[in-house]
Amino acid sequence: MNDTAPVRSGGFDWGRLFGRPGQSLTRRLIWLASTWILLALVIAALALTHAFQESALRRLGNMLNETIDEIVVAASRTPPGERVEQIQDARTLRLLSGKYWQILEVQPDGRLTPLARSTSLWNYDLNLPADLPQRLERVLGDVITFNTDGPKDEPKKPEPLRVAASMKTIPRHDRPIIFLAALDRSEVDADTRQFATLTWIALLVMGAGLVSAVFIQVRFGLRPLFDLRNEIAAVRKGRAARIVHDYPLEIQPLAEQVNRLLDHNQEVVDRQRTHVGNLAHALKTPISVMLAEAGTQEGALPELVRRQTKVMQGQVDHHLRRARAAARAAHGLGEKTPVPEVLDELAVMIEQVFRAKDVEIDWRAPDELAFLGERQDLQEILGNLIENAAKFSRRRVRVSAGASGLGQMVVVVEDDGPGLPADQRDEVIKRGSRLDESAPGSGLGLSIVDDLTRAYGGRLTLSDSDMGGLKAVLELPAAET
Amino acid sequence: MRILLVEDDVDLSRQLKNALADAGYAVDHAADGEEAHYLGDTEPYDVIVLDLGLPRIDGVSVLERWRRDGKTTPVLILTARGAWSDKVSGFDAGADDYLTKPFHTEELLARLRALLRRSAGIASATLSCGGLRLDPRAARASVNGEPLRLTSLEYRLLHYMMMHQGRVISRTELVEHLYDQDFDRDSNTIEVFIGRVRKKVGSDRIETVRGLGYRLTPLAGETEAA
Repeated sequence: MNDTAPVRSGGFDWGRLFGRPGQSLTRRLIWLASTWILLALVIAALALTHAFQESALRRLGNMLNETIDEIVVAASRTPPGERVEQIQDARTLRLLSGKYWQILEVQPDGRLTPLARSTSLWNYDLNLPADLPQRLERVLGDVITFNTDGPKDEPKKPEPLRVAASMKTIPRHDRPIIFLAALDRSEVDADTRQFATLTWIALLVMGAGLVSAVFIQVRFGLRPLFDLRNEIAAVRKGRAARIVHDYPLEIQPLAEQVNRLLDHNQEVVDRQRTHVGNLAHALKTPISVMLAEAGTQEGALPELVRRQTKVMQGQVDHHLRRARAAARAAHGLGEKTPVPEVLDELAVMIEQVFRAKDVEIDWRAPDELAFLGERQDLQEILGNLIENAAKFSRRRVRVSAGASGLGQMVVVVEDDGPGLPADQRDEVIKRGSRLDESAPGSGLGLSIVDDLTRAYGGRLTLSDSDMGGLKAVLELPAAET
Repeated sequence: MRILLVEDDVDLSRQLKNALADAGYAVDHAADGEEAHYLGDTEPYDVIVLDLGLPRIDGVSVLERWRRDGKTTPVLILTARGAWSDKVSGFDAGADDYLTKPFHTEELLARLRALLRRSAGIASATLSCGGLRLDPRAARASVNGEPLRLTSLEYRLLHYMMMHQGRVISRTELVEHLYDQDFDRDSNTIEVFIGRVRKKVGSDRIETVRGLGYRLTPLAGETEAA
């Protein structure tokens, strides 16, 4: 025993034999079923072959018993000392014919002396096991059968024999007599072998068939599991929000539990988002106060407070955006948000905010157009874009949305303002930098739009509008109608 | 100008009160939702600055109550929540403008001035057509007392139709009055806007006269309100 070999503590590892739980359930099931099937078939084959051989040998035994009866009669009729007559059986008269008999007398010292033998045996003796006289003595009068080799007829191999032996006492003989009858059993052996071969072939074919059937059954039976796996994968990849299909009784609870887990995760994420949001929002009022207070005073301390509150404000904004983005990853799947509704409420609202400038927002979208995502996010994307356009426009903002095929939609937001030089467009998206400090509101608008659009696998591009100002083109996922 | 400042943070309130007073407003201050609702309901303010995160009753509920009671005083919402979904729900509740914290005091003052300019001249002569009312000076419209939320193009279309109610107005005529420039003048545009306005005022109020145009009429059974 190699003592560096790892010692397994828990007995035999059945999991290893039938495929580990972590590996393949299919393999595990097929292995188990196949093992049972093959084991049953092997046992069946052995039992059948054995039964066939037994019955063949029994037939042989009956013939031997008849021969024994005949030689017992012949011996009983012969007075002691005289030669026992041959019985009338052609095969026992022909030399080495495969059918023999022999009569032995048991001497007081245990030796066996031949009294007579069939002509077919010529001057050979039958090969007998050494303990035969003792065994026969125990079952006096009954027949024992056994196998042995026949008389040698070089260069041929000795024939296999079936021998029946019986010890009897007969009249006029003091000593017990052993009667032996033997028959060539090579035919029986050949028959048994042939039968065995056929049986094995038949059962092998049957085994192969059964194993294939099991394979098909397992694959078919486990198909709902594969379906479930695919559906869960779809959830993970963000193509679905929940498990929606019905499954067989046995795994429906699993699907439901997965859904509950998803809900729970969603809840946790929502709670986290709310916490982060609450904290960040709660900080905004104090920051406001400090900024305003420090802004009215001169000196080193107000300067420091101004600088540090700016940093705090940046942090708060940053973490709020992160929290929103994180929540988004788990949210909004499969949700449909009607685009015209969102455009209408935003247009009314932003026009009202910019009424001093009398901004006019002309929006167009097909009634059935829907965004594949959360309403909040579409509001955030379009709200920032349209507000931005309104802010920089002279008076007009044009928004046109439409499906562009393949589950995509395009929203174009344009204004008639001064526009943005090409070299500044990337900057305004990427860094969320504040290009115009004097324009009211958060300068982060466009970078939030870009972040959100990317989160949905969409794209934001800026170019020149024929209205004179900036043209923002949004590509977003659309819901199939 | 009388202004109601609703803000629960002590320091911010003090700062804003000073800034507003310096700008020439007569400032009343409420520190919770209940007090705010009571003051807004009983005193004739010209404008209200309303923080949304309030003790007792939150800002949105206070605003909804005022609007339900028919108060039209312009309200500027002050909120830490800058998400558009929050802004939209503020506007749905009846806000006229919003400002996200942290903000500059000058920004607040500028917004207030704009709000006051806008609301000057409320209670001018209104146009009506059955349950439909339109106030041209305030640029507001309502159906059976429920305020309508119209974009400026929709408002302009409705205004023109109300001035010419009972008459069939052709598409060309409508296009010319919808846009004041040569701009996107195709007649489908009118169908789009008629569709949207119908959705908001009730589709039976605007009748399509085949081949001629559209006509705005009171609903059957509606009597002309005084």
